Amino acid sequence: MAADRSTAAGLAAALRQAFDRSFAEPARRDADDLVELLAVRVGGDPYALPLAEGAGLFAGRPVVPVPGPLPELLGVAGVRGLLVPVYSLRALLGYPGAEAPRWIFVVRSAEALAVAFDQIEGHRRVARASVAPLARPAARLHVVEAARLEGEVRPIVSLASVIQAIQQRARPAVPPKER
Amino acid sequence: MGQNWTFGRKVGLGFAAVVALAVALGAVAVYALRAVTAAKDRVIEVDAQQLIDAEAVTAALERKSASLRAFLLMGTGKYLDDVTAAREEFSATLERLRAAVRTDEGRAAVDGIGKAEAAHRAAADSVIALKKSGAAVEEIERVFDAEMAPKRVALRDAVKAFVVNERALLDAAKTAASDSAASAITLVMVIAAGALLLAFALALVLTRSLGRQIGTAVGQVQSSSGELQAAATQQATGAKEQSTAMAEITTTISELLATSRQIAESAQRVARIAGDTAGAARSGQATVERADEAVGAIRRQVELIVGHMLDLGKKSQQIGAVLEIVAELAEQTNILAINATIEAAGAGEAGRRFAVVADEIRKLSDRVASSTKEIRGLIDDVRGAVNTTVMATESGAKAVDSGTRQFADVASAFKQIVDLISTTTEAAREIELSTKQQTTAVEQVNQAIANVAQATRETEASSGQTLQTASQLAALSRDLHLLVRPAAAA
Repeated sequence: MAADRSTAAGLAAALRQAFDRSFAEPARRDADDLVELLAVRVGGDPYALPLAEGAGLFAGRPVVPVPGPLPELLGVAGVRGLLVPVYSLRALLGYPGAEAPRWIFVVRSAEALAVAFDQIEGHRRVARASVAPLARPAARLHVVEAARLEGEVRPIVSLASVIQAIQQRARPAVPPKER
Repeated sequence: MGQNWTFGRKVGLGFAAVVALAVALGAVAVYALRAVTAAKDRVIEVDAQQLIDAEAVTAALERKSASLRAFLLMGTGKYLDDVTAAREEFSATLERLRAAVRTDEGRAAVDGIGKAEAAHRAAADSVIALKKSGAAVEEIERVFDAEMAPKRVALRDAVKAFVVNERALLDAAKTAASDSAASAITLVMVIAAGALLLAFALALVLTRSLGRQIGTAVGQVQSSSGELQAAATQQATGAKEQSTAMAEITTTISELLATSRQIAESAQRVARIAGDTAGAARSGQATVERADEAVGAIRRQVELIVGHMLDLGKKSQQIGAVLEIVAELAEQTNILAINATIEAAGAGEAGRRFAVVADEIRKLSDRVASSTKEIRGLIDDVRGAVNTTVMATESGAKAVDSGTRQFADVASAFKQIVDLISTTTEAAREIELSTKQQTTAVEQVNQAIANVAQATRETEASSGQTLQTASQLAALSRDLHLLVRPAAAA
């Protein structure tokens, strides 16, 4: 029985039904066919970050500025007992200007680092078939593929590319140390 | 005669002079009459009495002769007594004559009578003695004729001579008395003529003096009467003009009275209308006061609504604050779900079921966030509506305040109007009363003017009468002047 979603009571009933149905459905087996994405906005443009490449999402963590060779480095932040360098995704993607990012996304990699951005739109799950590499070179850095999401094309930021670029630029001066 | 003497003094003096003349004339006349009377009395008492006594002597002689003859005839003693009585009477009368006579001729005549009587008596006695002796009648007659008769004739002649003498004396006395009376008459006539002349002179002087004085006075009276006539003419003209003016004034006052009555009626109507207006104004004031109370109640209700709306806004703000907490919780739940998804992805197969739970948690957090967003929208709508309502209510409250103030102004103005209408009503009533009093006064004035007009008409008539009287007085004074001074008047 479909509840009327136009009223608050109907909406509550629909939510309850969906919640109950989630327990009734069988466990998905097609998890490999799905791609977990974090929809964000950088410089007003939509982007997506692959959750599989992340180690954690944090909000409102204070970032202490430290001097460094890369202008994209905002500072360091304490995450789960570790000091993690935080880079501005906006600067990494080549947007001009500065920002006061609220969100910190810790990248899963051998060298701990995090990118910061201002706005998050939410967690998205898309079929792997919806993700396709870009045919021609993207206008922005670190974008090699995109996902069709909710009727629009959302570029997916390659965090590996980001790490690589940082490493390449930072290595001649200060080689990263593993902790 | 003094010029300043009054008519009374002048006339009194004239009469006094005339009376004095009359008294003098009377005194002279009385004196003359008394002189004449005395002369006549003396004639009567002396001369006539002597003549009478002479006649009485004659009578006594005759009675003695008669008595003697009777004795001689009768011889009785009674006649002899008569003879004796006659002799005594004759003697007494003769003695009285002797005492009365004053002249020598008289006294001589009396003496002659006495002597003749003595002779006669002697002869008689002889005869009587002869009779008594009884002598013869012839003897007695002879003796009588011889003796008695001549003696009796002599006595009679003596008596006659006395009478003649006395008569002559009487005539002389009468003539003297008559002369005295004539001279008295002449004196009285002379004095009367003098008195007449003096009275004429006095009358002439009085006439001239009084005529001059009266003429002057009459002239003044004539002049004054002329002036009086002129004044009376002027007064009559003035009275006529005054009467005409009074008639015009009466007409004007009548018109004024009619106008005043109309004004009084209009003032009465105005006062009545003002009273009605005052009543309506009081009713309107009561309505305004009720409306003022209603506006005050509306104002209080609006203030209450504003208070409630502000409370509602505060509650919305509180809900928003709670919703912020809910949103924060949803966001944190979402972060946890995302992190759980990330952790599940790293946990391999075991993490897959966890990933399902995490996904459901994420969905719930998404729904909470969505609902929170909707609630925030609704709250924003509510707050907007509240703000709009508050603003509208505040503007309404301001409008109500303004309306209240304007209504207070209206009420004040209405009260002022009511006061003014009350004042107007009072003034209208005073005007009505004053106009009534004025009408009464004008009626009284009208009555007074009517009386004055009547008096003026009477004055006009009286002035006409006065003019007529003045004319008559002028004519009378002219006639009087003619009477007093014909020449001067001519």
